[in-house]
Amino acid sequence: MSIRVARLSYAYRNRAEQALTDISAEFKPGEVTLIAGASGCGKTTLIRCINGLIPQSYTAGRLSGEVTLFGRNNAVMQLAEISQVVGAVLQDPERQIVATEVMNEIAFGLENLGLPRDEIRARIIKTAELLHIEPLLARQTFLLSGGEKQKVALAGVLAMRPRAILLDEPLASLDTASGHEALLLMRELADSGIAIVIIEHRVEDVLEIRPEHCVYMNAGRIVYDGDVPGLMQAVDWREIKLPAPVVIRKIRSRHDQHVEPPVFARTNSAAPPLIEFRGVGFRYEDGPEILHDVSFAVRPGDIMAVIGPNGAGKTTLMKHAIGLNRPSRGLVLIDQQDSRQMSVAQIARTVGYVFQSPSHMLFAPTVREELSFGPHNIGMDKETISANLSRALDAVNLPDSAELAPLAMSFGQQKRISIASILTMSPRVLVMDEPTAGQDYANYTHFMDDIVSRIRADTETGAGYFKALIFITHDLDLAIAYANRIVMVVEGQIAADGAPHEVLRDESLLARSRVRSTSLLKANLGMLDRCQRFMSAARLAGLATLQDGPA
Amino acid sequence: MIAAWRYKPRSTVIQRLDPRARMIFYLCFLFSVFMFWDVRILLLFLLVTVITILAAGLSWRETRRTWLFLGGFISFYALVTLITGQVGGQFYRVEHVIAAIQAPFTLLGWQPTLSISIERIFLALSQLVRVASIAAMTILIPYTFDPALYGITFRRLGLPDKLAFALDLTMRFVPSLSRDFAMTMDAQKARGYELERREGGLAGQARKLAPLLVPVIVHSIISAEEITDAMDLRAFGTQPRTWLRVLKFNRLDYAVVALGLLMLAASAGANLLGYARFWAP
Repeated sequence: MSIRVARLSYAYRNRAEQALTDISAEFKPGEVTLIAGASGCGKTTLIRCINGLIPQSYTAGRLSGEVTLFGRNNAVMQLAEISQVVGAVLQDPERQIVATEVMNEIAFGLENLGLPRDEIRARIIKTAELLHIEPLLARQTFLLSGGEKQKVALAGVLAMRPRAILLDEPLASLDTASGHEALLLMRELADSGIAIVIIEHRVEDVLEIRPEHCVYMNAGRIVYDGDVPGLMQAVDWREIKLPAPVVIRKIRSRHDQHVEPPVFARTNSAAPPLIEFRGVGFRYEDGPEILHDVSFAVRPGDIMAVIGPNGAGKTTLMKHAIGLNRPSRGLVLIDQQDSRQMSVAQIARTVGYVFQSPSHMLFAPTVREELSFGPHNIGMDKETISANLSRALDAVNLPDSAELAPLAMSFGQQKRISIASILTMSPRVLVMDEPTAGQDYANYTHFMDDIVSRIRADTETGAGYFKALIFITHDLDLAIAYANRIVMVVEGQIAADGAPHEVLRDESLLARSRVRSTSLLKANLGMLDRCQRFMSAARLAGLATLQDGPA
Repeated sequence: MIAAWRYKPRSTVIQRLDPRARMIFYLCFLFSVFMFWDVRILLLFLLVTVITILAAGLSWRETRRTWLFLGGFISFYALVTLITGQVGGQFYRVEHVIAAIQAPFTLLGWQPTLSISIERIFLALSQLVRVASIAAMTILIPYTFDPALYGITFRRLGLPDKLAFALDLTMRFVPSLSRDFAMTMDAQKARGYELERREGGLAGQARKLAPLLVPVIVHSIISAEEITDAMDLRAFGTQPRTWLRVLKFNRLDYAVVALGLLMLAASAGANLLGYARFWAP
């Protein structure tokens, strides 16, 4: 008995292309299945077909083939029945949690099934014990951290005692330590006899829990179905992020010489700082202090990664650089001017700030209007705006999109439009909060490569070029691949500030900061003597091949 | 930073009451106050409000901003009443003017004059007391009403499952909405957007809000879709549901309900007998 998908095809209403084509697969109890694939490959649609949302909620698409849940065709089951067989944890736990209190959230599905109260209470306690969240039971759901929210969402599903759990990108909003904890839990659940299906493009993280079964999807089809070693062979390392040794081996064995030799910006340490923090402390109104005595300076040529666990104060800190937060103690200088005497709009001429979620800023009917909004606000003239506009669209690789509607674009495109709409203001420092969130590997590698190539430490900059880049991330590998400086924020303080190979060599610092080491970090440490600095796996391989010839 | 976040468990009489009893009393109070324009009786209602506030055990620190805002709002409202002498409806026929203040300028040949009469003063005073008692009583709710109890309270007051749960859902997403709004505001400010800057006429002003409203609305619509999916997947609305929470009426709760109903009946009686009308010395 298992979940069987047979010759499944699906197309959404009003869309010509198929979302799924001829999918057949089996997911067994006691096994962890990893489904990997780039954005738009059909992973989420497959989950909806299994949990019955297609066709029961999405009624208007074209569906063929069948899904059998432990011997029963799901087409003849009610959603209420399916929910007791298959549980689903959606991508954003924030949008799955419906109750104000944790206890009520876990109870929600059971209440809907009309179970007696004693039974509900017993199951809540059992589920909370299993997931080690008893201390959260009386808490308000809104105030939970990302990792806690996910556990609570999972608890709400698990309490219904499903025989299979489907998880849609469960790691997307978690830092590496919380992500790892969540995955260990999945392993435990699988070992207890539940079928676990994880859709994820953080493949390397999932490999740590030894999935028995891997599926690789591309353009709505299953390209590979088998074990882990086979997956490593089948997957293109440019599409899906694989462990660093695998990438290096692949590139070297295939004489894959399309990797450019690395070019890195150098910090101009003689130049005056663009942004400077001097002993900054910060608190919200009467609240406790959340930043303590923070000092650092950003100079031309800096590619600075701000890393640290969820809730460490990274975003709170960087919002000072654009004047959205004002220091309670100390000083923030923008272009050597006290930020307290400047409005956000004035600072925006020097510092461009791209927020994490594009959906919090896109509003205009066309890309052209969206991109003109910022520069118009800060008083740029029409000619400059229109020149900046085409340069910004080139920079994000969407050159012909000026008349399109931003709200109708894919998430990845929206993200790039949100960056372009800051680039048109021609800031000299670009700050990006979690630039890779919600994007697949191929997408973000492409635009990060591009953004980094636009840093000019010494010459004057125009739109599309800037003097320094700062990005906030909880993806350690992103910092390793692109940054020339790492600022580690832990509990509102700067725990370390320096070149990546200096900061990340310190294992006790990583442990204290809840940052988990990665295969890319290990590979870089192993090759540091030869490379002198940190870089991406592809570049490591390229450099090694240049020096030794193909393996 | 609104509604649901302000609630804190406190061991006060008010928070020990059954939420249904509180709701019933609150509604009785509301309708009673609505009936009166006599400031002497309205002062009694204000006294009830003050007692309730004291019993709620809120600290000045946590409520300071709310009270200041409320004070400003009520004073403004009373001032408007004083100047216009209007609150919608005719309350007095004769005015005893005690002072007439003439503006030191003219508008198109018309010299604005503010005449202060005893009636106006008392009308403004009644308005002040009315609005103060109702507003202060209402402001207490988000501070003292457990947001997890709205659904079950109204379910037990007779609303069907789905409607009652919609209230819970609202409470759950109020803070999310306010956070989305704050994030959008920050994102647009970083693009040089300044809400304070005035330009254009009425249409221009409305267009000025688009960068704030469009993202928040679009975000809400997308969230709503996903939340519906999540609820469907957990069997919402397929059959009569159990509510985990159990509410229980105690003797005190009966007393509070009785008090509320008595107040409402007495008010209605006074109203019929003509004791509720506007009064000025």
